[in-house]
Amino acid sequence: MSQQEDQNRMLRDAVTTFAARDTSIARVRELRDSAPGFDKAVWKTIAELGWTGIMIPEEYGGMGLGLSEMAAVLEEFAKTLSPEPLNPSAVLAARALLHGGNEALKKKLLPGIASGEILPALAWQESEGGIDPLALATRAEGGGLNGGKRFVFPADADGYLVSAQSGNGPVLYWVEKGTAGLTVEYESRADGTRCGRITLRNAKVSDSQLAASGKTAGAALQRAVDEATLMAGAELLGVMSRALEITLEYMRIRVQFGKPIGSFQALQHRAVDLFIQKELSFSVLRDALLHLAADPSGLSLWASRVKYRCSEAGMRIGRESIQIHGGIGFTDECDIGLYMKRAMVLSAWLGNGATHRHRYAALAPAEAAA
Amino acid sequence: MQTRDWDKMADEAFRLEVRGFFQKQYPEHLRFPAYHLRWADTKDWYKKLVDKGWAAPGWPKEWGGMGLSPSKLLIFIEEQERHGVARTPDMGIILLGPLLIKFATEEQKKRFLPPTLRGEYIWCQGYSEPNAGSDLANLKTEAVLDGDEYVINGSKIWTSYAMDATHMFILVRTDKQAKKQEGISFLLVDMKTPGITIRPIRNLLGVEVFAQVFLDNVRTPAQWLVGKPNQGWTMAKALLGFERISIGSPKLAQTGLKRLEAIVQSQGLTRDPAFMDRYTQLRLDVADLASAYGRFADLLKRGETLGPDVSILKIVATETFQRLTELTLEAAGDAGALGGKVAFRKDSVDILSPFYNARPATIYGGSNEIQRNILAKNVLDLPG
Repeated sequence: MSQQEDQNRMLRDAVTTFAARDTSIARVRELRDSAPGFDKAVWKTIAELGWTGIMIPEEYGGMGLGLSEMAAVLEEFAKTLSPEPLNPSAVLAARALLHGGNEALKKKLLPGIASGEILPALAWQESEGGIDPLALATRAEGGGLNGGKRFVFPADADGYLVSAQSGNGPVLYWVEKGTAGLTVEYESRADGTRCGRITLRNAKVSDSQLAASGKTAGAALQRAVDEATLMAGAELLGVMSRALEITLEYMRIRVQFGKPIGSFQALQHRAVDLFIQKELSFSVLRDALLHLAADPSGLSLWASRVKYRCSEAGMRIGRESIQIHGGIGFTDECDIGLYMKRAMVLSAWLGNGATHRHRYAALAPAEAAA
Repeated sequence: MQTRDWDKMADEAFRLEVRGFFQKQYPEHLRFPAYHLRWADTKDWYKKLVDKGWAAPGWPKEWGGMGLSPSKLLIFIEEQERHGVARTPDMGIILLGPLLIKFATEEQKKRFLPPTLRGEYIWCQGYSEPNAGSDLANLKTEAVLDGDEYVINGSKIWTSYAMDATHMFILVRTDKQAKKQEGISFLLVDMKTPGITIRPIRNLLGVEVFAQVFLDNVRTPAQWLVGKPNQGWTMAKALLGFERISIGSPKLAQTGLKRLEAIVQSQGLTRDPAFMDRYTQLRLDVADLASAYGRFADLLKRGETLGPDVSILKIVATETFQRLTELTLEAAGDAGALGGKVAFRKDSVDILSPFYNARPATIYGGSNEIQRNILAKNVLDLPG
């Protein structure tokens, strides 16, 4: 077994322990439609386990590990359906800050993010929800930010990394919650969590809050978004794996016509097709992580391949799991619906399957026969 | 004749050496054939492989093979597919050889392996019967011991290369009382034996590659039974593992994708967003097939054995390739019903042959429905 696999195995084991000790489906149910929608005590536990700092370099108080380790943790973590915003804070926001160019700001914030004391969110998308980080209507002018941001998760962050267009190209500012001119409204998501719709009316910012600007800002945003997109694939893999396990178990025990329904060929073939989609998701994620470990270029392309497959597979396994469960699958008391709803949220987040299919076509022109 | 330790060679160096040989030696006009070529077309090429010592890449060296490990063998096959090298009537090399090496007596190996390697014995496989397709264990062709000979009666079907074959390896029922999988034996038969009639079957491509073979009081020596009597089923199944990964290779689909791209450009389909979306979907399917294949190939490279989940590769590879040929037909528009090479602006492409060839791929080697049954029971642990 390679060192990498050893490391990932240990990380996965830690999540299994966390799943048994610190969370449960009952807890997930209780937190639905609450504010802030997750448990700050559990977030502290997650930080103590080091997961918030996996992708933060050691010099900033993190573990300095890579995408492969983060994926291992997120895949297992997602199986628990915990609503704590691990990928959004520890990857999407933390990495945008890290890839930026403000050393003082990194020193100020990253150790707190790694330790769980600071909960950041990246506010990068606007009202249409496209996935081009440079399609910006929000303006940075005269020391103030004006505009709106959408799909911000976690909505209740300690501060927001807000992207905007300035006279010198794109910029990324750290704006603390409570800043005058920044208001957060909430939109509820399918799984009972909520995301923020942020309005900025001349929210004052200074140079010390400028995380990145110009080309650096554009590259930092793109890279962080792609990394989080890839990691959302790992989360979807976790959710679909668990949903399929639950559905297969139901097929073994549910008896109709005097036999377990799992003995019927029509259902068996359906289950195999779901399994194949899960295996393809696993295969493309594995391939992406292997390639990116050797050569980090091509991140956008791999992120789109992974997000496309995992979104489509996650949605399909979610929907068909409901069908295989029959009537009980449509009830709120049955857990399978929770998995479908989380798959819906993860699928829509950072660009759904169709969006990434289109981006793949744009990024990878086909090759014709000579 | 080269007898080198290929497994000591780095993968990339081995790949380049194999590729170089195919590029230099393989006849250009036989590249990417539209359908399975007959022995008359491929025997000169086979002779070159024999001279090079490469006729049986998967056999051990002591029997004249290259002695390749599964991972090197995979590279060899990948390069074959990449260059469009046709299969010869290779049932003896690919299916029978490994079975004999594993189960036959020393005397049988000496009797059959060398002429098979030299291409003097061409083998066909007698497994399926008119009433034993997916339910292969239901086979009824029977062999009765009479002195030192078995007397065979019955009929085999879908027998590829029967017309070219000098010999047949055949599954026969030797115990009618036993449970159906347990009364089957594995016999070898000379095709010149009196009582054998071959009726070639024309397939959807309009060519005769397979046949029905009738056996009417056909006598074969009792010492041509391989393994123990009534153990034929277990032996035949024991060698399926490697088949399932080689059938799952993405090369065929990747080549097909390049041909489709030429048509897409010629037909101006890049301006049709509805078509392009489905086309992109297919490209992603082919890319993910390659990722899945790579994952199983990596297991082989690390010397691990493949589990029953490798069956997903056969399903994904063959169904992806089918969809590819269907979209190609659609992209060709009115030309989608024209036989032979069809001229497009950017390329000349055979539309129909891949479409037809993709049909049996989901049927042979255990139909995809049978594969799904196996996966449901052996991998997903669903009740029988």
